Amino acid sequence: MPKNSKGREIAEIIPEKCIGCQLCVGECPVGAIVMEDGVAKIDPEACIGCGRCFDVCPADAIIFEKPRKKRMTGVGQAPVPVDEYKGVAVFIEIREGKGAEVSWELVGKARELAGKLNTQVLGFILGTDIKPVGEEAIAYGCDVVYMIDAPLLKAYLPKVYGNALVHLLEQVKPEILLLGATPLGRDLASVSATRCETGLTADCTGLDIDLQGRLLLMTRPTFGGNIMATILCRNHRPQMSTVRPRVMKLPEKDGSRRGEIHTLDFAAPEDNLPRIIDFIATPVEADAEDITSAPVLVVVGKGACDTRHLPMFRELADLMGGAVACSRPVVQAGLLPYERQVGQTGKTVAPKIYIGIAVSGAVQHLVGMQSSDKIIAINTDRNAPLVRIADYALIGDYTEMVPRLIKGIEARIQSFEGKASKR
Amino acid sequence: MHIVCCVKQVPDTTQVKIDPETNTLIRSGVESICNPYDLVAAEVAVQLTERYGGKVTVISMGPPQAESALRECLALGAKEAILLSDRAFAGADTLATSYTLSQTISRIAAVNPVHLVICGKQAIDGDTAQTGPGIATRLGYSQFTYVSEVVSVDVENNTIKVKREIEGGSELIEGTLPALLTVELGLGIPRYASLPELARALRQDIEVWGAGEIGALPERLGLRGSPTSVHRIFAPPVREGGRVFDSTENTERAIEDFVEVFFEKESPLLEHLLSQDKG
Ligand SMILES: Cc1cc2nc3c(=O)[nH]c(=O)nc-3n(C[C@H](O)[C@H](O)[C@H](O)COP(=O)(O)OP(=O)(O)OC[C@H]3O[C@@H](n4cnc5c(N)ncnc54)[C@H](O)[C@@H]3O)c2cc1C
Repeated sequence: MPKNSKGREIAEIIPEKCIGCQLCVGECPVGAIVMEDGVAKIDPEACIGCGRCFDVCPADAIIFEKPRKKRMTGVGQAPVPVDEYKGVAVFIEIREGKGAEVSWELVGKARELAGKLNTQVLGFILGTDIKPVGEEAIAYGCDVVYMIDAPLLKAYLPKVYGNALVHLLEQVKPEILLLGATPLGRDLASVSATRCETGLTADCTGLDIDLQGRLLLMTRPTFGGNIMATILCRNHRPQMSTVRPRVMKLPEKDGSRRGEIHTLDFAAPEDNLPRIIDFIATPVEADAEDITSAPVLVVVGKGACDTRHLPMFRELADLMGGAVACSRPVVQAGLLPYERQVGQTGKTVAPKIYIGIAVSGAVQHLVGMQSSDKIIAINTDRNAPLVRIADYALIGDYTEMVPRLIKGIEARIQSFEGKASKR
Repeated sequence: MHIVCCVKQVPDTTQVKIDPETNTLIRSGVESICNPYDLVAAEVAVQLTERYGGKVTVISMGPPQAESALRECLALGAKEAILLSDRAFAGADTLATSYTLSQTISRIAAVNPVHLVICGKQAIDGDTAQTGPGIATRLGYSQFTYVSEVVSVDVENNTIKVKREIEGGSELIEGTLPALLTVELGLGIPRYASLPELARALRQDIEVWGAGEIGALPERLGLRGSPTSVHRIFAPPVREGGRVFDSTENTERAIEDFVEVFFEKESPLLEHLLSQDKG
């Protein structure tokens, strides 16, 4: 172990392992650690060799060899009595009078988590005339539904919804709360986590339980999808997380399931609330499809960003009962609208078949489509990242390949139909 | 009108990677940039002061180097910049970050009342759209996220009207000041700074505030004030590549081969898909 000029054994940083989280900077009692080029650096003369930096480092980037046990990180503020909190709750978002699909996906996940924790799945519903949604929630897997039914909850206002949800959280005390990472869900999650002074992890792609501590293991992509991080919320409850639509599997609905429904009152906030003047629904174009629910996606990349070929891509999509989507540069070029963008700043999709045409597969794109069942990449570049992960890679110029592909598939479909009509 | 903009310095995420074999971070040549969403926020703030008068103050929490993100905003036309840099702030998650920033904004507002706080919709390196609503909640400001247009601000009557992008469409909504907005990328294009502006931005003094200056409770800052902690990091699972059909020799053949293999291997899936489509 290295020593400084005073002969003191000191900690050492492995720059390649440092993730630049700065936990050690905050932990060092003598201010001996500074950030340099995004990496922590220890001043050997100032270091007192206490090893606290070693204790908090999540990346094992600090060498400190004095014998000592690694302590858990994340001390937090005044911890809450975590044992008082029970159940896995899901905030069920209402869209056009019905439960949003992402909420049911989360109920499915909550069942799995609740099974491991041996506890109940709770559904939280806010809105007006929401009784039918409560019943649906039970059919999808909730054991107990808590709702607040009030005219003021007809449209989303952060303060009003925040008050209502925090009220439910205080009354019911769930150990976990999951919300869909929709515009409303993200907003509300943040408002209520702040009010409850608890931890919130956004856009999780994996949720699991550490049974020993009854902790929720929240895994999410970070640094634009280049790195995965598992986050914990040890001493605060509820442990909150948002999950994007289509990341978890939609469970089967079972109308014969039984459960309880409770309706609660809440105190509306008194300040002068914002007023929604108008809602302008996005005009539904004749060919408007939701790229997140299409079973097949034909995804146009920058290398195929050509108006003349758009009809060809549509033809391929139609042929397979799918929709046309795209990468970000294609939206920036104005060929297709933002609603069709796949990726970190677009939509997360998981179609049965993803066909990328001249899409290179940058990380920001990959994070939005990696869980597609089958990936087909059409590209001139054999080494493009998407080509490397594709189940089927077609190397060559798309203008040559796509017309032939359409013909080939057409012929196959005819033979299917032949078979079908014989049956 | 006085607008405070919260900006963050982030690593250029396109360059950060993990070596899947050693599980270590490859960050050679990773630059730090001002979060692109926050630059848009600063641009929007400056445009609003050009429309209605007033000034923009930018604040950023981060290590001393985060100063350069602030200078980028000064070059866009922000008038003042404050860097929040203190060892006590390090290791903050979104809860501790929103505490630190809201504490700072209260201090600023005590001297020079704040009408608007503008944040980018999200940061590209991690925390996704949580900090803005957290600040609004703590300060009790009106909160408008995902703003795609600032229709009007009326400082005299204390009102603001904005358009927000939400599920299924956009919403026109009016509320009272002070308000916090988080803005979409499309709301503005950060301008190219003129040379004199650049020179001014580079010369300007930037105040550095620590925990003492913002009157913060130490237990709510940084690592100590953060309920969440990183447990483990790892490289994302990579999908194994599959079959390659090269058409450089013969396109016809490559496609034929592909269609053959594809329809054979995926026949249950395809039969289901294609018949469903027809039915
Ligand atoms: C903060 C941030 C967020 C981002 N968010 C997103 C996002 O949500 N979604 C997204 O998609 N991107 C996003 N990006 C952009 C991303 O980094 C890439 O720039 C983008 O995905 C590249 O798009 P592309 O693959 O279409 O284009 P390129 O990378 O330019 O790839 C074009 C491909 O076409 C191939 N090609 C060219 N001509 C032909 C031909 N005739 N036949 C066959 N192949 C051909 C080339 O070999 C190449 O592989 C984001 C970036 C940042 C910094």
